[in-house]
Amino acid sequence: MMDERTILLVLPILVLQFALMIFALVDLIKNPNPNGPKWMWAAIIVLLNIIGPILYFVIGRRNY
Amino acid sequence: MKQFSTLLLKEWRENLRNYKIFWIPVVFILLGVTEPLSNYYLPQILDATGGLPDGAVIELPDPEPEQLLVAVMGQFQLIGMLVLVLAYMGSIAGERRNGTATLLYVRPLSYASYFLSKWLMASIVALISVWAGFLAGYYYTAVLFSAVPFGEFLAFAVTYSLWMVLVVSLVLFASAAMPNAGLAAGLTLTVLLVLQLVDGLFGSRWKWSPLKLPNYAASFLDIGPDATALIWTLAISLVCLIALAALGIWFSKRNRAKTKV
Amino acid sequence: MNVLEVRSLTKRFGTEQAVDGLGFELAEGSATALIGPNGAGKTTTLSMLAGLLEATTGDIQRKKNLSIGFLPQYPRFFPWLSALEFTEMAAKLSGVDSKKARQQAERTLGFVGLGQVANKKIGGFSGGMKQRLGLAQAMVHQPSLLLLDEPISSLDPTGRREVMELLKSLLGQTTILYSTHILNDAEEMTDQLLFLQNGRLVEHGSLNQVRSRYADPQIRIRFENTNAAERFVHESPWPAAVQGTAAIIAVKAEGPIMQDVFRYLSVKSLPVVGVEQETASLEDIFLKVVAGK
Repeated sequence: MMDERTILLVLPILVLQFALMIFALVDLIKNPNPNGPKWMWAAIIVLLNIIGPILYFVIGRRNY
Repeated sequence: MKQFSTLLLKEWRENLRNYKIFWIPVVFILLGVTEPLSNYYLPQILDATGGLPDGAVIELPDPEPEQLLVAVMGQFQLIGMLVLVLAYMGSIAGERRNGTATLLYVRPLSYASYFLSKWLMASIVALISVWAGFLAGYYYTAVLFSAVPFGEFLAFAVTYSLWMVLVVSLVLFASAAMPNAGLAAGLTLTVLLVLQLVDGLFGSRWKWSPLKLPNYAASFLDIGPDATALIWTLAISLVCLIALAALGIWFSKRNRAKTKV
Repeated sequence: MNVLEVRSLTKRFGTEQAVDGLGFELAEGSATALIGPNGAGKTTTLSMLAGLLEATTGDIQRKKNLSIGFLPQYPRFFPWLSALEFTEMAAKLSGVDSKKARQQAERTLGFVGLGQVANKKIGGFSGGMKQRLGLAQAMVHQPSLLLLDEPISSLDPTGRREVMELLKSLLGQTTILYSTHILNDAEEMTDQLLFLQNGRLVEHGSLNQVRSRYADPQIRIRFENTNAAERFVHESPWPAAVQGTAAIIAVKAEGPIMQDVFRYLSVKSLPVVGVEQETASLEDIFLKVVAGK
């Protein structure tokens, strides 16, 4: 059922979601003082698609 | 002017290094493509989740591509706006509160440059986000359904962009006026909510209002807005924009003593 | 020639009188130490002089076109900028020419000992490094007046020494007003002392002037143990006080002199470790001023 067109259309989105996740994770690793435990944020970022990284950037990041 | 470019460089570096210039557009792009994609695959999704009895044939009318773009705008109006408000609520209030502003305020600082550099950077990020999101939505709609005339799309996106810049101006004004980022976001969201409610309830009585910008943007995809109403709305929006900027500059200066020393 | 004159400066926060009728002058090229207990109004005073706070009443006369550098007690930086980027921005915002700003920032960072880490992000800096960077941003535009709020308090002893030497090397071209609670250092670099208490100027003048006003010289007799010191205080004919394992006798006109003390000690069998005459330190004066008024 996954024809080539579907893959071509869905792939960019998966790439973007992945990129967003990586941005958030890289930032989290470098963040000396996130708003809450790091492992918790790592879990949120990885498990919650799109929303997880946004939550991290808005609430968890703190301007370090 | 020299201070402006110095401060703009600072804002640029901040938005680059805290990834705002990447992640906010990505969120908008994802919002933009989700609408056409989920509509296209809705039958298959329903089928796969098995919510229908065997043998039932799903007959959904194809949505008009214009409707999809308006739905994308609806996502921007909700999630997109919230993201921008939360991302920029601390621009000024946060700097005052964590004390980083002190080392700027002790200099012969031009508060106009200070405010406008932040405003310009936030507007640039908002515009990149809106356009990236709309273009992604436009493209996916065109591939999966059919293309909206590009001219109509441009008018739609330009008009909506002005609305987003207005929202950004409101956030920055609130950040300058309020003692902390949370209150700035609270003020912005309350103002937006109340005004939208008022416009929703009684808006049929007037045609000139910045709050109608999204409606007029959407109507470009349809029959097009009434030209005089649009022009007056644009003019009033511009006045609001300038007023918000002027008040923002004034509050930035007035509240400088509130910075943590 | 004064770079700054302050007349009956007052600052109220609601009902709290933070600064009350302050008046003093800063002579060009001089060093002035602002001392006083916590909450005396030092930071408020410096903030007003730096132009961050409006005075409630009173008057600050600055020399024409006076450029000021300010170091807050806890300078806070944008962690995502490098030391050089920040210092360069500070210079430009203070009116240094764009072309010269980077050069001047590099030089200043070298001067405060941050040359090696100029391109590192401030987010990774230690407290001492931030203090030095604070100093760099305060002096990068070569201001004629430096206002420093506790510039050395958070540094380790080596850092303190280095920064003191650095500040001393600026004197002459630069006027410095700094607050501190490390009185040893204040003693070392001061042309004028300003004692602040409850927002009021309770004592001021040069170190020698203040010293002569408060400094009763005293004789310190150190014993092997507190017991001996206490016995001495009880038995000797002079009013004395125990301080640790030592006894302190204030030397007044009618009091004893060294020879009397030696004579007395030679007939008593007390375990003496040492006897010395000392002039009051700034710390003693500080305690007296704070207690007295």
